[in-house]
Amino acid sequence: MTKVPNMPKSWRVETKPHKFCPGCGHGLVLKALGEAIDELGIQDRVVFGCDIGCSLLSWDFFNVDSVQTHHGRTTPVVTGVKRARPELICIAYMGDGGGYAIGSQHLVNAAARNEKVTAILVNNCNYGMTGGQMAPTTLPQMKTETTPYGRDPEQTGYPTQGPEMVAAITREGSYVARGTVANVRQLKGFIKKALQNQIEGNGFSFVEALSGCPTNWSTNAKDTWAFIEETMPKYFKVGEIKAPAKKEE
Amino acid sequence: MADKPIQGEKRVFMTGNEVVAWAALAAEADIMYGYPITPQNEVMHYWTRLAPKYGKRFLQTEDEISAGFTTCGGVLAGKRAFTATAGPGNTLMQESMSMAEMMRIPTVLVVQQRGGPSTATVIYSQQEVTMTCYGGNGEGLRIVYSTGSHQELYDYTIKAFNTAWKYRFPTFVLGDGYQAKMRESLYLYDPALKGIKMETTTPYLGLEGMPGVDRDPSHLRNTYNTEEELYEVVSDLVAAYEKIAPEVVEYQTFNTDDAEVIIIAHGVVTRAAQAAVKTLRSQGLKVGHFRPVTLRPFAAQQLRDIVKKAKKLVVVESAQGQLMKLVKDAIYGETVPIEGYLKPGQGITGEEIVEYIKKGM
Amino acid sequence: MEKIADRIVEAYIGEYASGKSEVSLNRALSLLESGRSPVTLVDFDLVEPFYTLRPIKKELEKKGLQVIAWETKKTMGLGEAGTLLKPEMRWALRRAGDVIFDVGYGIGGAVKLRLVEDGLDGGEMKIFVVTNIARPITGSVEDIVEYVGTLGPVDGLINNSHLGDDTDVEIIQEGARVVAEAAKRMGLPVIRTTVDIRLSDKIGRTDTMGNPVSYLKRHMNRSFW
Repeated sequence: MTKVPNMPKSWRVETKPHKFCPGCGHGLVLKALGEAIDELGIQDRVVFGCDIGCSLLSWDFFNVDSVQTHHGRTTPVVTGVKRARPELICIAYMGDGGGYAIGSQHLVNAAARNEKVTAILVNNCNYGMTGGQMAPTTLPQMKTETTPYGRDPEQTGYPTQGPEMVAAITREGSYVARGTVANVRQLKGFIKKALQNQIEGNGFSFVEALSGCPTNWSTNAKDTWAFIEETMPKYFKVGEIKAPAKKEE
Repeated sequence: MADKPIQGEKRVFMTGNEVVAWAALAAEADIMYGYPITPQNEVMHYWTRLAPKYGKRFLQTEDEISAGFTTCGGVLAGKRAFTATAGPGNTLMQESMSMAEMMRIPTVLVVQQRGGPSTATVIYSQQEVTMTCYGGNGEGLRIVYSTGSHQELYDYTIKAFNTAWKYRFPTFVLGDGYQAKMRESLYLYDPALKGIKMETTTPYLGLEGMPGVDRDPSHLRNTYNTEEELYEVVSDLVAAYEKIAPEVVEYQTFNTDDAEVIIIAHGVVTRAAQAAVKTLRSQGLKVGHFRPVTLRPFAAQQLRDIVKKAKKLVVVESAQGQLMKLVKDAIYGETVPIEGYLKPGQGITGEEIVEYIKKGM
Repeated sequence: MEKIADRIVEAYIGEYASGKSEVSLNRALSLLESGRSPVTLVDFDLVEPFYTLRPIKKELEKKGLQVIAWETKKTMGLGEAGTLLKPEMRWALRRAGDVIFDVGYGIGGAVKLRLVEDGLDGGEMKIFVVTNIARPITGSVEDIVEYVGTLGPVDGLINNSHLGDDTDVEIIQEGARVVAEAAKRMGLPVIRTTVDIRLSDKIGRTDTMGNPVSYLKRHMNRSFW
């Protein structure tokens, strides 16, 4: 009999093994999220929305009520749920396109309105599911299906600094951080704080997770990790960017 | 804070947009999501003034894409949520409404048609018929009511919530800029007074109990992997829609039994059509009027039966044939000649219909 | 600046669809008909510009009324864009003769008149609130008092209670009673009751509270809005 590996309680065993590619970072981000949900004891209050792209493969991932939406529209759907039923803990899970391209309008405005939802964005520098096109976070000179000669920043700009943008817009009460699948423990800490921020009703919380996509990067395991651990942090700073001021006891 | 927004029945004088806000209150709507666009802004102006008094909510979103999707979210959470829009805003809402079609989300959307295409005018038209009935990348699995008076705007906005939640298809109240802004009297009433019971709402997300333990989690999606899978899904949706269509379809007829010429018109134009029929009949001419109230589903069989004895159909609309397409689709195979009195973006009076019909007779 | 002696400067404000335009328009015409000249009517609708007086502007000017409003032709292509305040509106009080303002609805209330040079602080302007009790927001004494409280400085109330084509004497007289009570609570006068002229045989020259009655000829039915 196959031994079922240790999984977060909020994970749905029946839909494992999951559908993500071998070496994909989503599995690690969702593990961090699953453990955070377990530790906070909110499994029966969570509504989980996922976007289009590889994030959609998480639609049946958890034993929580989940809805897969349209590309870039996860933030507004989840915002709509939260506004109607503030007691629910609402999570919008998306990729770099869903947050920084087609969904940027919604992300920016949810942040500006300080919506009490938690957005988790997986940044792997490309549009994975559709075959590896350029994303807002694609690195300069990086080859993708729509930048076959390498991304030229003169023509297409530099990688979007999403959490920094969100932190610049939001006011007191928001929580903004960037973690990495290269340090899952730290990432889990950020996600947990982000969810706690929503539980306390402080404001908008946002965590970007640097992640890997060996399938579209065409990298082996060693090179994949090198990219995540060494190359990406040159463009995306890992750490907490904004947190609510500690309340006086 | 007052308990019920409308107690008993009250005669009032209002604009159409205000009627929508009051009707939503009477229907116990919980939350409105919206974005400003003329000519429906007063729906929000009045909702935001009244909502706090009755513990109702509102969110102004960043655009109509978001207004549509947040409405889906509110409905998924189990609340009576609605939104309103017009013109280019309606165009943007097609994405969210096609998600609602696929996932059977009972959204309520009030459309106050304005000129098209593009920005055009903020004033009036009937040019959003095709889009409201068949917009998005779907099969038009929607329910669309076309109102012609403030009393109907009130009645059908309340009804829209019940239709949506009972049959679980996105439901639309199709008005227009004239109805939105013009003023007339009507009766506001507590639906309970008329024996109308509001359909209970149930959440799709955030249900009671521990998912995976007390119950299965709710896992909702709108994407599929293979052609065969999709065919099954869409077939099921279509079957469900066709099953409920006979219960939902509504239409009116005026002097059609022995009519030689039948005027077909919807929405506010039905007023002009009804007035024209009165005038023409008083002059001894055998003219009748068929008015679809639901544009989707369309009363196809009923119209087919009615036109069998007619010599001519005249479709009258403030658009370039959007109603006419629905008519032709409905009665395909019938050989009765069809003419169009088509005036995109312009109001139509009874007098001009009378003149047009007489010229042709 | 020296005030033009004895001229009439009035601003008609009120809730959406309360009847401000019809009332102010009729007031301007009646001043003209009583021999006063010149009389200027200003369409000060900044929320719904262009649509109140524009279809009938030419017709009113033929009667000798000066009208400051946008014309249909000049609004082509503006649609929802373009400035709403016509420069002539800002300087309306520099004209000779009587000036009547039809002030559109909106959160600003009377304070909108700050956009008119010498409007609020010129000392000439009287601000009247047109009230129709068939509109739920101003349906009761308490509602009217609450609503008028949000408008800023006002000088009087006008009872324009009606149900459009379905108006009957009852609603007018009930309106007179309700508006009078509200006015009393706020220490304001009721200026007059305005009534569709088609009902002139059913209601005399004063209403049930003794307020003077003015008849309105409906001009606005040709504007759908």
